[in-house]
Amino acid sequence: MTAGPRHTLGLRACFGVATLVWASLALADDAIGWLQQAATAAKQLNYAGTLVYSHDGRVETSRVMHMVDATGEHEKLVNLDGPAREVIRNNEQVRCYYPDAKIIRIEPRTYRNAFPSLLPQQLDTLAGYYFFRKAEIARIAGLETQAYIFEPKDGMRYGHKLWADLTSGLLLKAQLMNDRNVPIEQFVFTDIQIGIKIERDTVRPSFRPPPVDWEMRESLPGDVVQQDTGWLVKELPPGFSKIVEGYRTLRGKVAPVAHLVFSDGLVAVSVFVEPMPQAPQLIGLSQQGGINVYSRQLNDHLVTVLGETPGATVRQIAYSVAHR
Amino acid sequence: MSKFAAGPDVELTPEEVSLLMDGELDADRAERACRGLHEVASVQTWVCYHVISDCLRGDGMPTWGISKRFAARLAAEPTVLAPSRARPTPAAVAWAVAATVAAVGVVGWVALTTMPLPPSAIATAQRVDEVRAADLRRPVVNEYLLTHQEYSPTMAIQGVRPYLRAVTADPQDASK
Repeated sequence: MTAGPRHTLGLRACFGVATLVWASLALADDAIGWLQQAATAAKQLNYAGTLVYSHDGRVETSRVMHMVDATGEHEKLVNLDGPAREVIRNNEQVRCYYPDAKIIRIEPRTYRNAFPSLLPQQLDTLAGYYFFRKAEIARIAGLETQAYIFEPKDGMRYGHKLWADLTSGLLLKAQLMNDRNVPIEQFVFTDIQIGIKIERDTVRPSFRPPPVDWEMRESLPGDVVQQDTGWLVKELPPGFSKIVEGYRTLRGKVAPVAHLVFSDGLVAVSVFVEPMPQAPQLIGLSQQGGINVYSRQLNDHLVTVLGETPGATVRQIAYSVAHR
Repeated sequence: MSKFAAGPDVELTPEEVSLLMDGELDADRAERACRGLHEVASVQTWVCYHVISDCLRGDGMPTWGISKRFAARLAAEPTVLAPSRARPTPAAVAWAVAATVAAVGVVGWVALTTMPLPPSAIATAQRVDEVRAADLRRPVVNEYLLTHQEYSPTMAIQGVRPYLRAVTADPQDASK
């Protein structure tokens, strides 16, 4: 007599669970699909615009130009306020020009974290640790955009609100929100032209060739060695997994620095471990906009953890770094 | 019965709470002070001092109701009638707490020793905000920030825009 109803209940429960699983997978699919679209737009489109970056009560304006030709992607960002600093990207390589200090820093892009490369892991992580939803349609820089929200399910990550152009999919505005839903950092285009013709010369460095008295600081691709460093994070916040580990030769450092990167699919946290420098170090938490940094001494080493996460996350990671 | 047996819980003075947090009580007094934390007024002082030290370190905002929850958890703890001397639980706790509280002091001290400041600025340098603002401008952190940036997934959808964090972070220190 009782078998019937129980059976039905069981089926319903199964169906309920299946629906939930399906719903969360569908959600992850949506989020991933949309992120991929934004990533493709950022990579393949020509665009030029004025970008306003605000954080910690400061506002900085820049000019951004991006063009694609037969040799790949070229991007130029010029700081319009204060010293005329520039960031130039040619495919994998990023150069930062500091005319005020007469320095050029050349950063080899050793690892391209394109979204498709992390897909299976991200699918799980994004659905497991963020609620993803479509928000309002908003007008930004004169264009209609669709807003999307990644709301964290725990206190270990920030919320993300992203606005994408309805026509091209290009991201026009991005905000990081703290646990009280207050924006702590924002990138927004105040004007932008998409799909225009951009001359190759427009995205070349303004300082070309660089004046002879400028210092070139270049870290070579050979300065990065991917290997097991022996360092590990014992209590990694949920959802984060290691995406890279190795030694880096950094400017101003005598010994190679162990560098581990962990990601939850949307943001990354870096762990740097170096022999304790002779000079006194600032220990503890510091913050700038969406970046939190936590430094601590671990026996004879200095551990620095840095990422686009709340202070609690970098602190927890810093305190659970250990050597095997 | 040992002298650690549960006697009447005595309310702690704010000084005693502070000394307990700083690990400056000997084992006996630490034991007594920990028992004193069963008193509502003492536990409120304890929580208040921790919230203050957390806020000073920028560890986030106070959580409402934390003192009630802390008191409830403490009340639920079994009363230890005769703890062995060899098990230095309260002292260890006190030292751990002292270490976290001391971190504030360390930040202040290191800032004083590393930042060339006029005497008038020294008072403000002790404020943790000052240290936090100063920290990211340090070239070493900037070097780390640049290195980190290339691994951040936000690069994929934002291009070089996030590099602004590193390029604008150090108006004075790019040359170092």
